[in-house]
Amino acid sequence: MENYLIAMCVSAGIYALMALGVNVVWGFAGMVNLGLVGFFAVGAYASALLTIKAHWAIAGGMAAATIVAALVGAVVALITVRLRGDYLAIVTLGFAETIRIVASNAIWLTNGTDGLSGIPGPGRGTLSPEMFNLVYLAIVGVIVAIAYVMNERLRASPFGRVLRAIRDDEQVAAVAGKHVTLFKVKAFAISSAALGLAGALYAHYTSYIAPDIFVPLLTLYIKLALLAGGLGNDRGAIVGAFAVVFLLESTRFVIPYVPGITPVQGAAIREFLIAAFLLVMLRYKPTGLVPEQPTRLPVPPAPRYQPTA
Amino acid sequence: MPQTPREPRRRFLASAGALALGGLAPALVRAQGEALQLGVLTPLTGAGGFDGPRMAKAMQAVIDEVNGNGGLLGRKIVLVVEDGQTNPEAAVRAARKLIDVTKVPAIMGTWASAVTSAVAPLCWESKTFLTTVSGADSITKLPHQGYLIRTQPNNHLQAGKHAEFIASMGVKRCFMMSIQAPFAQPTQSRATEVLKEKGSQMVGTLIYDKDKTTYRSEVDQALRANPDLIYLNGYAPDVTILLRDLYRAGYGGKRFAQSYAVTTKVLDSLPHEVTEGVITVQPSADVTSPAYELAKKRLGVAEPDSYETQATDWASLVSLAIAKAKTPTGTGIRDSVRSICQGSGQKVYSAVEGLKLLAQGKDINYEGASGPCDFTEIGDITDCKFRYNKVENGKFVLLKVA
Amino acid sequence: MPSLAEVGQLVVNGVMAGTILAVPAIGLTAIYAVLRFPNFALASHATIGAFAGYVANAKLGLPLLPSVAMAFVVAGGVGVVSDETVLKRFRPAGYVTTAIASIALTIALENVLRFIFGNELRGYDLPIQRDFRIGAIRVGPQQLDNLAIAGVAMAALFGFLAFTRTGKAMRAVADNPMLAAIKGIDADTIARVVNFVGMGLAGLGGMLIGLDTTIDPLTGFRSILSVFAAAVVGGLGSIPGALVGALTVGVGEELCLLFLSPDYRSAVGFVAILLVLTLRPRGILGQRAF
Repeated sequence: MENYLIAMCVSAGIYALMALGVNVVWGFAGMVNLGLVGFFAVGAYASALLTIKAHWAIAGGMAAATIVAALVGAVVALITVRLRGDYLAIVTLGFAETIRIVASNAIWLTNGTDGLSGIPGPGRGTLSPEMFNLVYLAIVGVIVAIAYVMNERLRASPFGRVLRAIRDDEQVAAVAGKHVTLFKVKAFAISSAALGLAGALYAHYTSYIAPDIFVPLLTLYIKLALLAGGLGNDRGAIVGAFAVVFLLESTRFVIPYVPGITPVQGAAIREFLIAAFLLVMLRYKPTGLVPEQPTRLPVPPAPRYQPTA
Repeated sequence: MPQTPREPRRRFLASAGALALGGLAPALVRAQGEALQLGVLTPLTGAGGFDGPRMAKAMQAVIDEVNGNGGLLGRKIVLVVEDGQTNPEAAVRAARKLIDVTKVPAIMGTWASAVTSAVAPLCWESKTFLTTVSGADSITKLPHQGYLIRTQPNNHLQAGKHAEFIASMGVKRCFMMSIQAPFAQPTQSRATEVLKEKGSQMVGTLIYDKDKTTYRSEVDQALRANPDLIYLNGYAPDVTILLRDLYRAGYGGKRFAQSYAVTTKVLDSLPHEVTEGVITVQPSADVTSPAYELAKKRLGVAEPDSYETQATDWASLVSLAIAKAKTPTGTGIRDSVRSICQGSGQKVYSAVEGLKLLAQGKDINYEGASGPCDFTEIGDITDCKFRYNKVENGKFVLLKVA
Repeated sequence: MPSLAEVGQLVVNGVMAGTILAVPAIGLTAIYAVLRFPNFALASHATIGAFAGYVANAKLGLPLLPSVAMAFVVAGGVGVVSDETVLKRFRPAGYVTTAIASIALTIALENVLRFIFGNELRGYDLPIQRDFRIGAIRVGPQQLDNLAIAGVAMAALFGFLAFTRTGKAMRAVADNPMLAAIKGIDADTIARVVNFVGMGLAGLGGMLIGLDTTIDPLTGFRSILSVFAAAVVGGLGSIPGALVGALTVGVGEELCLLFLSPDYRSAVGFVAILLVLTLRPRGILGQRAF
């Protein structure tokens, strides 16, 4: 039981890192990235390939994964920066699917749909599975904590303030002399870096990756984690990630108590419950579990434009 | 101001906590009960959702029979079914639950190769036995320390035998259409090799994308090679589309597919003229396989397909291995499985029959519905025959077993 | 070097595939034009349409056309109900939240179908006809039927938008919601109408897809990305755009077979999106509704 809970905490921690990353572009800058699983995949493959094929150290692989994902993020941002929000959403979704198709077909590099197995993990094999889990939880915990602190500092920094200005009104930010494109590209790169690192963490934890892992459903979970936790809010992102994993897992334990159903019907009920709970969570927590706190003393709001009488 | 949003949060956390306790506590109580729990991890949703339920049902049928005859080690068996969702990430979480919470000695039923490859390390690290249908050659080469068996013949064996059969039918020009999956490439190259040896020829191959609404252009591409047999190496949803498109294109040659891609249900969903003459193949023990006949009766299916027969064999093998080991542990199953399914013991064709003989202290050799169930060191089946059926008027007719 | 006939055949195949995509794509874009969010629940509504048509045809023994009508009406009805009870409440929170809620909704509905019907593959009780040839080009009579059904549905929609009061009101809301409100057009009624029509088209499209493929809880889901690609390429919110986009994606996916192996086909839709949007950030026909 403990081992299971620890493993789920590792999963939730990886989700949390992704949610923190996405918060930078979505929560701060207001850009919708529905292809986050693509950057997650890039990181996972980068670190896995470097450690398996080039025999890099795990830490080196993870660092490289972070950088590679950031670069890919910057390129994607450069291509898509002119697009309006909902178009950006669909283009990024397409980007993630394209990554998956390439990973399935570029067999010489990624081993195709067979996937890559035997990805090393810190102490795997020498430690007992329980100890390995604990060690990994500690690693993930530290990384999430660092990401959290960095996000918070980013938010309070002038850079973060510009991002939020862009989110609230791009034109105003541009008029104020900010190079909007540059800021967006930087935000995307930072966000993708976190996603890539999360991918590397996932790869070294489970020791196996394959294109089938990187499906849009995972993107949905992270988006929901963020919305449930309160968009733009870093503590909320972490709480939301844990809430989503909790929801995914707890529904498992309910199904055996529904009498007279086939296994398929049980699975259908479980997925229905997950979707329904997510809807309820979204609906009744429009500001999320943890609402966004203003980082500075609130300035009196500018009077809204009122039509003159 | 901060008060209002906190209130719902607390309520949410409280209800979440209640859900957790409500869910977990009885599970713990149950685990201490009498029943012997075995894990089932088949895809019930996602792309494999078509095949997983049939496998779960076939395992349940065997377990019901065992329970009806006194159970195992004096205990009733309960199958704990989790949904693999045809997704390695979700399946790993489900396997964690089966291993760490339910503490099952065996997990049966992984389908997609990616799911099996993802779950296998958890299994061998926790000394849990895993049985699978996944075809990727890489799977049995994993360092699984014996904690994995695969009843599905590997690509090399399958493709070779299928090609021999195809050549023996007098086919001169064979074309292979494969879905993008780990088995696509190795099956193509091995079949090409054997066809050539046998005086036939592979005139072309193509790998198609799943989830398309039509394969008209792919069919055109295949027909341009002018084949007299097309090997449709995919799953039911896409093979259904291919059969329709081949019919529309006026293709009159032979079509060859795995039994799991053209099942009884698939025959029901298509007009008879579309499926007429399709040849299906599945691993099998022999023409008169008592285990296959028993599976037919148990499942109430005219011709159980390859996945149903393999699922039948997992439930039987695991039950017998536990009985032989006299202890329901993964290591026990690993150490005793080969002593109940191969060797010189008395041949048995069902779990119940085998359990009776084991209780009398006799040695047994389980012969399954999907083949003789003899395994190599690395968990592959050593050899098997294949059962070839032909579709006539919407029904399967046995062609031969070879 | 591919022959001219080969290219011609690919174009014909692409047009046929594209026409089927066009029907749900038009539904998607119509809903977008009025309600301003990409409604991913389209996937499950297409599946609902496929199952409604299946029940009508295979269970009740109705012929093709009444079954198609059934697919339209049932999916449209479910669309109205699911919007009223679920999605409507999310709209004030913005289009992203609503779009994401629509993904959760589609998963919920897919599993309702799975609970009722299971995962088994089903097919309509309709004969399958052989193709005929016009010169070197192979054409399917069924595809022509589909083409006709899709064409009639689209023509009916255009007629509805151009000539009826409600249709005109819908266009007004799409063009300028504020002005429409001032003119006293009831936004709620318009939302219901557009949901009925949009999801009805999704259902009809789902049934057409089911005719060529299989009917199971994932029927709509398998095609949703292509449908979105079609709507986006044509310009989200533009109904003629959805048609143009669907044909572009359909023909593009086929023509790519000349250069690429078929397993890259899905990527083509997305590359098309990128290319078109890079040149025209609002799709081929922009976002004006009509």
